[in-house]
Amino acid sequence: MIGKIRPRVLAGALIGLGLVGAAGLPGALAHKVKHTPEQLKLFESIFMEQVRLGDLLFHGDEATAKAMGVTLSKTGMACAMCHPVGSDVHPYEFPKYQEQMAKFATLRDMINWCIEKPNEGEKIDDDSPAMKALETYIYWSARGTKLDPGRH
Amino acid sequence: MSEDEMSPVERIREMDRVLRPKGERPARSMSITRRTFIHKSLLAGVGIGVAGAAHYGWFPRINTIDVAFAQQPAAGFKFAWLSDTHLYPRTVNTRFVEKATRAVREIQAMNPPADFLIFGGDLAQLGDPVELQLGNEILKEVTIRKVFIPGEHDWYLDMGETWVKFFGASPWTFDHKGVRIIGLDTVGSAPDYWSAKKMSPKERMAHMSVLDGTVAGAWAGLGHKQLEWLSKTLSDWPKDRPVLIFSHNPLYEYYPPWNFWVRDWRDVHEIVKPFENVTNIHGHTHQVLYNEIGKMRSIGMLATSWPWPYAPEGVPKLTRPMIRVDPGDHFDGVGWGKLTMNDLMKVDTEYMMWRKDVYGEAEYDKGTGDNVNQILHPRIADNLWPY
Repeated sequence: MIGKIRPRVLAGALIGLGLVGAAGLPGALAHKVKHTPEQLKLFESIFMEQVRLGDLLFHGDEATAKAMGVTLSKTGMACAMCHPVGSDVHPYEFPKYQEQMAKFATLRDMINWCIEKPNEGEKIDDDSPAMKALETYIYWSARGTKLDPGRH
Repeated sequence: MSEDEMSPVERIREMDRVLRPKGERPARSMSITRRTFIHKSLLAGVGIGVAGAAHYGWFPRINTIDVAFAQQPAAGFKFAWLSDTHLYPRTVNTRFVEKATRAVREIQAMNPPADFLIFGGDLAQLGDPVELQLGNEILKEVTIRKVFIPGEHDWYLDMGETWVKFFGASPWTFDHKGVRIIGLDTVGSAPDYWSAKKMSPKERMAHMSVLDGTVAGAWAGLGHKQLEWLSKTLSDWPKDRPVLIFSHNPLYEYYPPWNFWVRDWRDVHEIVKPFENVTNIHGHTHQVLYNEIGKMRSIGMLATSWPWPYAPEGVPKLTRPMIRVDPGDHFDGVGWGKLTMNDLMKVDTEYMMWRKDVYGEAEYDKGTGDNVNQILHPRIADNLWPY
């Protein structure tokens, strides 16, 4: 039925196919754009917003916990009570064998263990926004420390 | 002459010469003199000098400084320290109530009873009259004399109104068995951080209640009026008689970002400098601490509610760190304190921690051993002010 299709439409379709084909080849167009300073600023502000949310959750802000659909404590406890500014969390030591859990654990495992046991809250989903925010704040607060995974 | 060649008397003389500050003389009322010491050790009969002294059992008790500055032996006494219960209402948190109640029962069960209980502050968590009332009820079980100093958690909801109503005002002082005892208020004179931002009482209390908060600032201190009061209170007290000062915050600079200090600690030390025997017992830090500055010893006591990690810097070198706490055990790293003013007029501390070991010996067991490689940064979310 090619004869029935108008030449301009056919040309457009062929060019479109060509572009799609070209994009599939190595060295294609999609990833060649350099970062702009504005983009980097945007990435950073996205990050800092997570730090801010994590900071609030970590310090027991009820409004934020409610908005994110989590109950980090039922007894008024907050992570920051035992870990002011994230001290004694040692995120740079994970993953490691965590004796309280009697298993090999990541930081997220430990966060959930703390929520459940000392904090008497409800465990949160490993991939939830709340978990990511908490993790972000903890790492951000400890930035600059040397990685030391496996240290007890 | 080497140490081995010295006789006990010569050794003590040598130690006194090295350790006693220039120009200072031991009190005239020494409880033992060199003559007495030699005489008694010779009387022991086994031999002359070292053997006799050892037989007499003096050596374990001899501390040159104590010998030089010892008082007329006054009757020693025992007292109990309880602080940092951080009570929420019963319906919110039962663990804190459980631990405070356990401490109170153990204090009341002391036999013979302690001379008094000093409550060192932070009875409530959010300064709520409900929490303070709960604490008051729990403490009613203690029938010995009770004295109180406030913590910041008790104060900033209603600026101490409920606290003073239940427990009286501070600072205060009383003399007990030859010791001048002082209770300070290191929390009530925070520089105003709430009026300009038109905070509600609850907001004011919330900012104060977060140890690593950035808004309440360097709130811990005595203030000019209290420093004058302290100076006046000690002005008629003999310089060689013991002074015991209770405060919520430590009277030296340990870690200002967490108010593990008082702003005017240098002024406090100026005031107590002439005194030969000053002991400061404090709470707020929720950990075992010990420091000596000049002739003031500072002893940090446990909380009943929860333990704090040792600060990233500033832990006094003289502190024997407490054991690393198990977060899975809410009775670990917490407790109360049994203190004795012994008959050498020095305070002995017995930490009544509710688990087997108070101290850790190996680096990996110490609370401070965990602190290496820790870099921390102040929080941001509590000070995002819409300028």
